[in-house]
Amino acid sequence: LLQDVQKHSVHTLVFRSLKRTHDMFVSDHAKSVAMDDESFKIKMDVKLKADYGAVLHMPVLKEGKDRVSQLPGSLHQIYTQPGVALTADTKMHRNPSEGGIHSMALALPPSQSLMEGGGTRNSSLMRKAPTMPKPQWHPPWKLFRVISGHLGWVRSIAVEPGNQWFVTGSADRTIKIWDLASGKLKLSLTGHISTVRGVAVSSRSPYLFSCGEDKQVKCWDLEYNKVIRHYHGHLSAVYDLDLHPTIDVLVTCSRDATARVWDIRTKANVHTLTGHTNTVATVRCQAAEPQIITGSHDSTIRLWDLIAGKTRATLTNHKKSVRTIVQHPRQYTFASGSADNIKQWMFPDGNFIQNLSGHNAIINTLAVNSDGVLVSGADNGTIHMWDWRTGYNFQRIHAAVQPGSLDSESGIFACMFDHSESRLITAEADKTIKVYKEDDMATEESHPINWKPEILKRKRF
Amino acid sequence: MSLTSFLPAPTQLSQDQLEAEERLRAQKSYSTALVSSRREPPPYGHRKGWVPRSLEDFGDGGAFPEIHVAQFPLEMGRKKKTSNALAVQVDAEGKIKYDAIARQGQNKDKVVFSKYTDLLPKEVLNEDTPELQKPDEEAVKELTEKTRAALDKQVSQKIAAAMPVRAADKQAPAQYIRYTPSQQGVAFNSGAKQRVIRMVEMQKDPMEPPRFKINKKIPRGPPSPPAPVMHSPSRKMTVKEQQEWKIPPCISNWKNAKGYTIPLDKRLAADGRGLQTVHINENFAKLAEALYIADRKAREAVEMRAQVEKKMAQKEKEKKEEKLRELAQMARDRRAGIKSHGDKGGEDGEARERDEIRHERRKERQHDRNISRAAPDKRSKLQRDQDRDISELIALGVPNPRSASEAQYDQRLFNQSKGMDSGFAGGEDETYNVYDQPFRGGRDMASNIYRPSKNIDKDTYTDDFDTLMQNNRFVPDKEFSGADHGQRREGPVQFEEDPFGLDKFLEEAKQHGGSKRPSTSGRSKDDYHDKKRRKE
Repeated sequence: LLQDVQKHSVHTLVFRSLKRTHDMFVSDHAKSVAMDDESFKIKMDVKLKADYGAVLHMPVLKEGKDRVSQLPGSLHQIYTQPGVALTADTKMHRNPSEGGIHSMALALPPSQSLMEGGGTRNSSLMRKAPTMPKPQWHPPWKLFRVISGHLGWVRSIAVEPGNQWFVTGSADRTIKIWDLASGKLKLSLTGHISTVRGVAVSSRSPYLFSCGEDKQVKCWDLEYNKVIRHYHGHLSAVYDLDLHPTIDVLVTCSRDATARVWDIRTKANVHTLTGHTNTVATVRCQAAEPQIITGSHDSTIRLWDLIAGKTRATLTNHKKSVRTIVQHPRQYTFASGSADNIKQWMFPDGNFIQNLSGHNAIINTLAVNSDGVLVSGADNGTIHMWDWRTGYNFQRIHAAVQPGSLDSESGIFACMFDHSESRLITAEADKTIKVYKEDDMATEESHPINWKPEILKRKRF
Repeated sequence: MSLTSFLPAPTQLSQDQLEAEERLRAQKSYSTALVSSRREPPPYGHRKGWVPRSLEDFGDGGAFPEIHVAQFPLEMGRKKKTSNALAVQVDAEGKIKYDAIARQGQNKDKVVFSKYTDLLPKEVLNEDTPELQKPDEEAVKELTEKTRAALDKQVSQKIAAAMPVRAADKQAPAQYIRYTPSQQGVAFNSGAKQRVIRMVEMQKDPMEPPRFKINKKIPRGPPSPPAPVMHSPSRKMTVKEQQEWKIPPCISNWKNAKGYTIPLDKRLAADGRGLQTVHINENFAKLAEALYIADRKAREAVEMRAQVEKKMAQKEKEKKEEKLRELAQMARDRRAGIKSHGDKGGEDGEARERDEIRHERRKERQHDRNISRAAPDKRSKLQRDQDRDISELIALGVPNPRSASEAQYDQRLFNQSKGMDSGFAGGEDETYNVYDQPFRGGRDMASNIYRPSKNIDKDTYTDDFDTLMQNNRFVPDKEFSGADHGQRREGPVQFEEDPFGLDKFLEEAKQHGGSKRPSTSGRSKDDYHDKKRRKE
């Protein structure tokens, strides 16, 4: 498919050419121009004849040549080949001048590379400069099912490890279990007295965990569909919860600025993770260090040491509340979403990788695929699909609201990929659950990648 | 390859080179080790008048007791102004550690991001770099085990505090340690080179209550220093933007807790009433007009109908009148015919006139009688005035029918047999004695007593008064138990059948002519009879 020639401003065109120039020369940026022997010889001949013709008859010392070869490219051209009388002295003196040696040592690496560069200058043009990677193509996602049944906002979603059913918690105080394949309601659980904010299904035991704005954290036994345990201790609404993949431990986070670690069996509050100064909106657990990550409305992310119950690192890069955190399933990285932008970080210390900006809305939820598709769902109902590696936003979806709902009632509170990573399930504010799947008909030609990355990468954030 | 390789060696040194040579020579002359110029204090005995002022004056040793001046060798002994200023620290490369402040109370190896380079995005070029890979299984497993152990310990501690006391658990108290002290010699340890120490855990008394009070509330210690903020400060608000976010205060239409007096325009401002133009549907006007038109049409129709009816009625009346007139004419004719037979001419005109007058008067009387017979309701003027109330008569201005005698004397003056003292009613103030007779005479009193005519209720109930009285509508379907059944009441008071046999008695008394017993009961019996009769 041919693209129309886009009219750009002079500014854009200038930047484009700047970018291409940069790409072409970035590998040899610090290196000097390659030397051509022929021209060099000619130049030398001409210069000698022109400037130094009068003294060319004098003898040239061999020693000087050696010394020069030993001290290549010293910036200040000290003629260290004095008269014959001083050569011995200077030789001696060369060793103790440690300062000189130091400066030489420092000067050596670049000059060595210069030497290398000089040697391989012929092949430099063949070697490609490290260009920015092109984003991977992902098929676009489309809506394929809308499930309605809840009587209030659907606030949370969890998919069962066996991928047979999924659970949703809603503002109508119920927890509903739906069949994943057909979308039919299987079970409704009541017990909470306020909005159910978080649900999680355990992969190690037949338990379902739910937390709500009524400060309750409940453990439901799915064989009897009854509540068997309560975890008491939070002082305010519990906003999110997560289960540790290998240890039988539950972590919940709350509006009282703490996250609490509970032992599932004994209901004991093992650790109370304090340090945040505002509501802790999201918590995630993993088996590798750091085991607990929390994001809070004080716009910080904290990485915790579960053994000690102390903060390991605090990431303050966000400017607005961090409402969601998601870990990459394969890589040792995670992403955090906030109203200003989405940031990617590295484990275990939380080194900043890159920014994904463009979704200018309050981001309520993030979800990642093994293919590298990052989904961000916002409070205004829009979904943006990103390529994880490059940060290229390849799709924007704004699904229509359920008939009967106002247009302002569009918002996404939670989204999750199922375990086969082929379906995206979103929990929305128009009381429906929407299921998306990849469009099979689309190809790279029908939905081309239209990527215009920033040229000035070194921007202040 | 440089230029110098082609050129011959210079015979004379340049200025720079000369200086360099000088320096090298100077260095060579001295030893290679650092030479520090020391200022030694003067030796003992030669210190008269010498005062150590700087640190170097002390040389290797300490203060000089023979010099009576306050001395602080190595700055020892000076009152230090304690400041919690952090000393400037330098890292391995010689650069100043500016993030020492951010790391003040913590581990040296805690991760704190404070440099500008931590803000900058890194390019992820290769996805397979080892940094981005998750740690391998064994590391994860090891970490899991460590964590689990630590958490279990925590949990058991918390639970043990709540659980009841059990038997003391035994720790195998048989740890032996071989210790080699550093200070060795014959004097220490009685010559032995090593010692063996037996470590036993101290026994915990299972019944011991907690040793320390933990209910004391102490304020929390200072938190760890806040992490450096890794973003640019928020942009300043322009005045325009601040104005955009201004929210006016809420003025409720229902509540006014502090009792503020707020001007009316502010009270209604939030309503937005003045801003909207009121749109009324035009159908209202249409409806009103339609109703008006319909009303007018109806009125016209009614009027027309009324007129038509009136005309019809008039026609009927005329017809009836004609008929009556004819009848009257016939009657007159008959009478006249009869009269004309009896009427003989020849008498004198006076007799005839008198006859005529008599005839007319008789006719008039008959006419009146006929009218009063025909329309008893239509009263004559006199009769009408008879029934009026006296205030109405006064209001109407009907003249007093009192006979206008020449002089009207106060009737109280006549027929008085009392003496001279009379007449003034003994000085009583409260008698009302202005007038002697009532205004319109007592003969009207009889008529002023209310006497309802038989037809007084004809307007309200038309002619069916009796049938209405006799109706049976208000009889209940089911009567109250214990009420007496059936008896229809024939008046407000209904008398029972004679329970005491008084009627019979009265009748007997009557038959006997009242001679036997002139008793008071006769009177009462008469009254009783009267009532009964009246009732009937």
